[in-house]
Amino acid sequence: MRRLFYILIATAVLSALCVSASAEMRFPPPEFEGDYVMPTTTTPHPHPDIYEYVDVAVLAAALSLASYLTLKLRSRRAIFVLMMLSLIYFGYWRKGCVCPIGAIQNIILSIFDSTYTVPITVSLFFLLPLVFTLFFGRVFCAAVCPLGAIQDMVLVRPVSVPYWLAAGLRLLAYLYLTLAVLFAATGSAFLICRYDPFVAFFRLSGNVNMLIIGLCFLLVGLFVGRPYCRFFCPYGVILRQLSRLSKWRVTITPDECIQCRLCEEACPFGAIRRPAVEWPAVEYAKARRRIAFLILLIPVLIALCGWGGSLLKNVTSRMHPTVRLAERIYLEEAGEVEGVTDPSTAFRATGRTIEDLYDEASVIREKFVTAGWVLGGFMGLVIGLKLGAVSVWRKRTDYEADRAGCIACGRCFKYCPREHVRLEKNKQEIS
Amino acid sequence: MNRLSDQTGLKIFVGVLIALAAVAAVISIVRLDTFGEKSEGLGKKLLDDIKELSKIDPNLILYEESGKRINTGFTQSRALAVDSKGAILVAGDRAVRIFDPNDDTISQISLSDQAGCVAVGSHGRIYVGVENHVEVYNADAQRLARWNSLGNDALLTGIAVSNDGIFVADAGNRIVIRYDVSGQIVKRIGQRNPETNVPGFVVPSASFDLALSNDGLLRVVNPGRLRVEAYTLDGDFEFAWGKASASVDGFCGCCNPANIAVLPGGGFVTVEKGLVRVKIYDSEGTFVGVVAGPEQLLEEGGAYIHEFPEQAQGVGFDVAVDADGRIFVLDTIKNVVRIYTKKEVE
Repeated sequence: MRRLFYILIATAVLSALCVSASAEMRFPPPEFEGDYVMPTTTTPHPHPDIYEYVDVAVLAAALSLASYLTLKLRSRRAIFVLMMLSLIYFGYWRKGCVCPIGAIQNIILSIFDSTYTVPITVSLFFLLPLVFTLFFGRVFCAAVCPLGAIQDMVLVRPVSVPYWLAAGLRLLAYLYLTLAVLFAATGSAFLICRYDPFVAFFRLSGNVNMLIIGLCFLLVGLFVGRPYCRFFCPYGVILRQLSRLSKWRVTITPDECIQCRLCEEACPFGAIRRPAVEWPAVEYAKARRRIAFLILLIPVLIALCGWGGSLLKNVTSRMHPTVRLAERIYLEEAGEVEGVTDPSTAFRATGRTIEDLYDEASVIREKFVTAGWVLGGFMGLVIGLKLGAVSVWRKRTDYEADRAGCIACGRCFKYCPREHVRLEKNKQEIS
Repeated sequence: MNRLSDQTGLKIFVGVLIALAAVAAVISIVRLDTFGEKSEGLGKKLLDDIKELSKIDPNLILYEESGKRINTGFTQSRALAVDSKGAILVAGDRAVRIFDPNDDTISQISLSDQAGCVAVGSHGRIYVGVENHVEVYNADAQRLARWNSLGNDALLTGIAVSNDGIFVADAGNRIVIRYDVSGQIVKRIGQRNPETNVPGFVVPSASFDLALSNDGLLRVVNPGRLRVEAYTLDGDFEFAWGKASASVDGFCGCCNPANIAVLPGGGFVTVEKGLVRVKIYDSEGTFVGVVAGPEQLLEEGGAYIHEFPEQAQGVGFDVAVDADGRIFVLDTIKNVVRIYTKKEVE
């Protein structure tokens, strides 16, 4: 109850900051009177490269420490402390940038645009959490990601999300990743950065609408564990798949499971899988037929979604500034809109012909057709595989952390009685 | 049983909360003006109501447009002068055109570059400020001299001629240069000097003009300070007049007045850009009345709203006065010269 009170106080403070952030910026009028001397123009020094390498070093150190805390020390308290430190450093100190989630777009753009070069530090930010996930599971999500940390901090009264609903909502993350790749590959926009719901909180400044969106995530996060991480995070999509392959990963207890279900109760992310017996033969036969049908359905889904993706070219291509400008100019020329916008005014001042702009926009729009086929097809594949996954029966003898869904937060081993006994034993052995 | 109902109540509460949050988030995303296309610009409290300011009390308008407008034929007219015989000189594009109202002839002086200012001296000599130097022509459009350049930064925007010399306003270097008739620099006027009380010219845009008054003093606009300053011909600062105000008796905007001319009786005509106004001040700098405001000068009426940034950066209208007190206004948007005469007092 007290924690809830603190959370409400913190929410009120953050809301107050939102109000100040929405205030109109004012600037002093030009000072032409008095003894004012115009300052000489100075060029700000570029951000020293050394800080970027310091960030990478801090990230590597935090990932190493998180791996140790989750796999070796197995202390929820220590993980929480590291999580808070990461929130302060990567969130409030470094203002949420650069982050591995947004780095996806830099990497994608560099693949599709030969003139764009990704700084080595950004590449490292993208790769390091992936490498650590391959070896130690989702330790980045556990204690290093500031976006996860801010949501974890507000989680006070977790409620369970039904498995079917959670699985369905996770498709949003795939869709978000697909769109982010589409817009980055076509040089349209960095969608993930543009719609980062928490960066305004880290910077204590931002668009009021984005602050509201962030606030909504935090409000939902009071009851639903890490809603952004689980249902929207595009980087989480990649980490989930790599985590399935991880060499070492979090276990509820290395000791024998007594099936007390406390871990299932403790996990706010629905990442604990119950023990499951063999299927009855009749059910098994039905499931086999269903999976066979789903496998045959996958190419159909790919084709359908790919086709749908290509049809959306008129909508998706609007994210590209050139296409948007061409549409605006067209509307202005046709007299369908009143007035001009800054980009249309700037375009007319260049002296370029409108036909030239339309041609360029058409070429870009055609790229969206191809990309729509590829990425729509990917979404179809994801949907097909997800349908297949829910139909596959996996035998389990104990409660287990889901290899993909577990974010290694350490709550389960805090509640596991066998873990308490084991740790006591360890203490006794040491003493 | 109670625990079960508590759980159900919590789930309903959470469900409603999530639904509300989802709706709020969706509305926020839909209303998010990512591309800045829905922007309504600055709030009203940060803006002047230009439309309102453009309205001028009819009782204050002392002049009326008379006679036929002179079409300059330029695509970009810049400056205006009237000689003692009534010929009208207009500088624009890469030429100076001379319109003689007596016999309706037009002659032209072709230039190597765009002129920023023009003036006529004794013996009909025409002095033209071309970018960073002065060129001198005779009445037959023959070039007599090309004075030395004032440097790459120089931009000549105002020129005045008297028996004491030729005075040139250099907007680029924010200074007035006094030449002798042979083109030698005699004095640099207006350099900031706290010891001699010279405030220095503040010239945020290419609008910087001067005029020689009947009282023997040089009047120079100081547009950044929104006033007119008086100097002796040797460069001593005497006094200044003009106040910063959006009302009709003051000067407003970033840099006004843009141009100035002297009336035969000793008063002054000023021209403001942005909120285009041509106004009369007496010899002491007291506001007398208006020649024409936005409603008279702009075809559409009301305030002129710039559509393109380059228009806002353009030079203002220029002004000249003939011996009869007629006021000539060069409309640098329509590239015509309008002639204003004083209204008959009823």
